[in-house]
Amino acid sequence: MKNNVYTLCYAGVLGTVCALLLTAVASLTKPYQDANAEAEKNRNILGVLQVPYPADSSSQALVEIYNDNVRQEQSGELEMFRYVPPADSGRTEIVAIGFEGPGLWGPVKGFLALDKDMRTIRGITFYEQEETPGLGGEIASDWFQEQFIGKSIVDEAGKAGIIISSDEGQAPNKVDAISGATMTCDKVQAMLNEVIKSIVEEKQ
Amino acid sequence: MADNKQMACMTCEPKGLCQGKGLVTLKEGAWSNNPLAIQVLGICSALAVTNRLENSLVMGAALIFVCVGSNLLVSLLRKVTPYRFRMIAEVAIIATFVILFDQFLKAFYWDMSKQLGPYVGLIITNCIVMGRAEAFALQNPPVLAIVDGVANGLGYAVVLAIIGFFRELLGSGEILGYKVLSEQWYTPNQIMILAPGAFFALGIVIGIFNAIKGPEPEEKK
Repeated sequence: MKNNVYTLCYAGVLGTVCALLLTAVASLTKPYQDANAEAEKNRNILGVLQVPYPADSSSQALVEIYNDNVRQEQSGELEMFRYVPPADSGRTEIVAIGFEGPGLWGPVKGFLALDKDMRTIRGITFYEQEETPGLGGEIASDWFQEQFIGKSIVDEAGKAGIIISSDEGQAPNKVDAISGATMTCDKVQAMLNEVIKSIVEEKQ
Repeated sequence: MADNKQMACMTCEPKGLCQGKGLVTLKEGAWSNNPLAIQVLGICSALAVTNRLENSLVMGAALIFVCVGSNLLVSLLRKVTPYRFRMIAEVAIIATFVILFDQFLKAFYWDMSKQLGPYVGLIITNCIVMGRAEAFALQNPPVLAIVDGVANGLGYAVVLAIIGFFRELLGSGEILGYKVLSEQWYTPNQIMILAPGAFFALGIVIGIFNAIKGPEPEEKK
């Protein structure tokens, strides 16, 4: 009995000390970690909006570039990030909209960049995904993402939705799926269509 | 493991490093009983993070830190820890050190933390750390336990660095991100940065280590 009490006390003390230590460290490093997460998000928005920025920018510099170039707007339910390139760059306005949803193994989050007409895709990026490396993980690769550029988020009849499929044939709103990653592709298509639906409803 | 008992120094005098036992411990951990190359423990992380030298070095540093920290604490607490509670206590201590390192990486080396992904957290389940706490730190005084932690951490880190060096060199023609093999005459061998390359490299390293060290004494009988 005495032994049990001692063991319980020992467990309690050890657990408390470890927990206190970790809590202290976690709260001390939290500002830095938050800044990193913020910079990471900014980096992705800047990337998908094709805002030029030096590759070795520090977190602070990134936040600055972001604040200087990107305008955050709310349109109904949609949070949009707008970038108007300088007139002499010969490039047109571009808008990014975040999307997220469940992937095969974990949450998938990303940004979809659209042209000013809110129909043509200018780019896509996934900044958080845990899909199978080499299969579903290929959604993070350039070849998959580059397919989206120039595609439309509506089909020829004007119906909202994008198709990620391995079927033959071409359509303005179809991209090739990844072989061996049907589940991931289906889930990505579902989460994209969800955001596309609200974009189209918002911008009739 | 058999000579742990004999190595347990009851009179840990300041002269020498535990009267030479420190050196024996160091050599054991880092070379003759190398956790990765001889005992073949903890190879999961060794396969996963060695596609670049930089990753390997950080991972090695993480293991040295965790091994030293947990060995020291387990050794300090060895006389007050209830025997049947010891493994839970070891895991709690190890987990604390691992999370400390992970938080530190996330705060100050974000990119590295992203590249290593879950593998820093998975050090908690690394058999080397738990094995050293259980087999060594529980029976030995703190100073010797630190030496053992350094030795085993180093043994792991060095093997990781060797594998990381060759995988990055052959796989992308770079060392620490600097191009050393010009693409004009060397085509990077993609397989070296993929999973199969890790198996080849680890297998070869284990083979070389064992060839140099020679067969186990027991096997000679």
